[in-house]
Amino acid sequence: MTSILVTDPVIDELVAICGPDNVFADKSSRVNRARVPAPFPVHRWAEHVPDVVVLPTSAEQVSEVVKLANRHRIPVVPRAGGTGLTDGAVPLRHGIVVDVKLMNKILEVDLDDRTVTVQPGINMLKLNEELRQYGVIYPDDPASYPCSLVGGRIGTSGWSLIGGRYGHTRDLVISFQIVLPTGELIWVGDGGGRKVRKSSTGYQLKQLFMGHQGTLGIVTEAVLELVPRPEAEFAAFFSYPDYETAWRSTGALAKSGLATLAGVVLFDEWKLDYLRRDDEAYIPQPDDVRCVVATAMYGTTDEVRPGAKRLLRIGKETGGAYLGDEISQGDWASRHDRYATPLHGRLRDGQVVPMSWHCEDASINWSKLPQVRREWHDIVARLGDRFRIFDDWGMFAYTNGAFKPWGDYLTEIDVGIWEQELDDAAWDAWVTAKRDIAAVAIAYGGSISACHGACREGEVDLVPEELGGAGTS
Amino acid sequence: MIGFRYSAQRPPDPRRINDAVVQRFDHVYEVDPALMRDHVRQHDFPAWDTRRIVDSRWEHLAWMHDHWADSVISGEELMEDEPTGE
Repeated sequence: MTSILVTDPVIDELVAICGPDNVFADKSSRVNRARVPAPFPVHRWAEHVPDVVVLPTSAEQVSEVVKLANRHRIPVVPRAGGTGLTDGAVPLRHGIVVDVKLMNKILEVDLDDRTVTVQPGINMLKLNEELRQYGVIYPDDPASYPCSLVGGRIGTSGWSLIGGRYGHTRDLVISFQIVLPTGELIWVGDGGGRKVRKSSTGYQLKQLFMGHQGTLGIVTEAVLELVPRPEAEFAAFFSYPDYETAWRSTGALAKSGLATLAGVVLFDEWKLDYLRRDDEAYIPQPDDVRCVVATAMYGTTDEVRPGAKRLLRIGKETGGAYLGDEISQGDWASRHDRYATPLHGRLRDGQVVPMSWHCEDASINWSKLPQVRREWHDIVARLGDRFRIFDDWGMFAYTNGAFKPWGDYLTEIDVGIWEQELDDAAWDAWVTAKRDIAAVAIAYGGSISACHGACREGEVDLVPEELGGAGTS
Repeated sequence: MIGFRYSAQRPPDPRRINDAVVQRFDHVYEVDPALMRDHVRQHDFPAWDTRRIVDSRWEHLAWMHDHWADSVISGEELMEDEPTGE
């Protein structure tokens, strides 16, 4: 099903703006831009297929496309890597998808003021390959690092695996240009200067647009932070016999005050059970390995080496056993690229089925992690009792603060979903479960999302409640 | 040039590791084929292809380390340098 708004004359106008090679109305181009890796009602795929896809190459072209859409009252959905775990890039009412992948240029590397200016379609891995010759790096490191794009990171206000050391997307993007829904182009930052990190002039508009999920405009250019390329990396994974000990150790490690500490990650018992099925690093672990805590440090060798010694000491003193270099280094390296993991799940009789990975996330304070963990697993267990297509893949809690990895945690429950078996009843139950998961986060003083965005079906209903009624009118 | 070798094609017989996992090569684990019967069938993999995938995986992880930092510090070496009381 398509809308009747995108007529041939409209496509002719889009071709005049973007060029004949950058406008796609064929079926495969449109169907492949209907969803993202977030759970998707595959049985209702046709409802989300855009009418036409454009790949502009400049901010001016994006602006003209938006103005055209306004004239014809056609919905516009911006799309970058399409790797998001919420629905910002999913068309709700067909229309025009503005795919920014061709806007992938590095416009300027400024080593004096430590910035790089890019278009939104560039990927962080490719950017850092180019930056290596200068001895600098752009340290925004999501689990989709090899495939997500800068524009999407801004659209989601993304979380970075090493944000405890370097900050998250909102901290690393200094300013950006955005095409407003009217088609006007503006720059937003911290104050007026495009390369200024801290200003007290006026309102901080950057944070208003950060995490816009496509609702406030389309980012067309961004000025990013550069930091020295790390001389040294250190990763240490510790095992624990129970959750309570691992949780307390996580808190101690995160509060160590070590400046090079980039992140601390707590894997719960359900996660370990899941990893023991298929992950070569965890299958051979002895039975008393019930929980794991991962840590990582980056910086100069002179900083990281003594910090690592202290980190190992804290891990041991709080009940952890070092799991060795192979698992610490190997598993940590794989954390930069979780989207490459082939996915299957299990029915309760143990049979393997193809499943897609989905994680519900929230920001939860350290003191509330045990209670939230119990309630979230109960919600997913009840879901699995009713529908065999859901499989609890366990929970992570990642340090969530920028530059100071303590306090609150990106808390995730991973759920495998056998999407081919989805129907309306299972989808409705899933949406209800998502709403229940979000309600638990709010009840414990957290936030619905630390990383993915809160515009997914189900949880989005609770955004006004989390924000204290703001926006309900 | 070495041509066709039967040993490069046929994987060794599996050894059971636990209720759900078998092993044919060192450090390479497989889902028990009995669990891949009703909905997903296990592929027949030549031995050389399994080795290629495993080698590629290690290359990828080494690449990722090198991508992020000039060197990787070993926890095992640090613990040897300065015993933490074990």
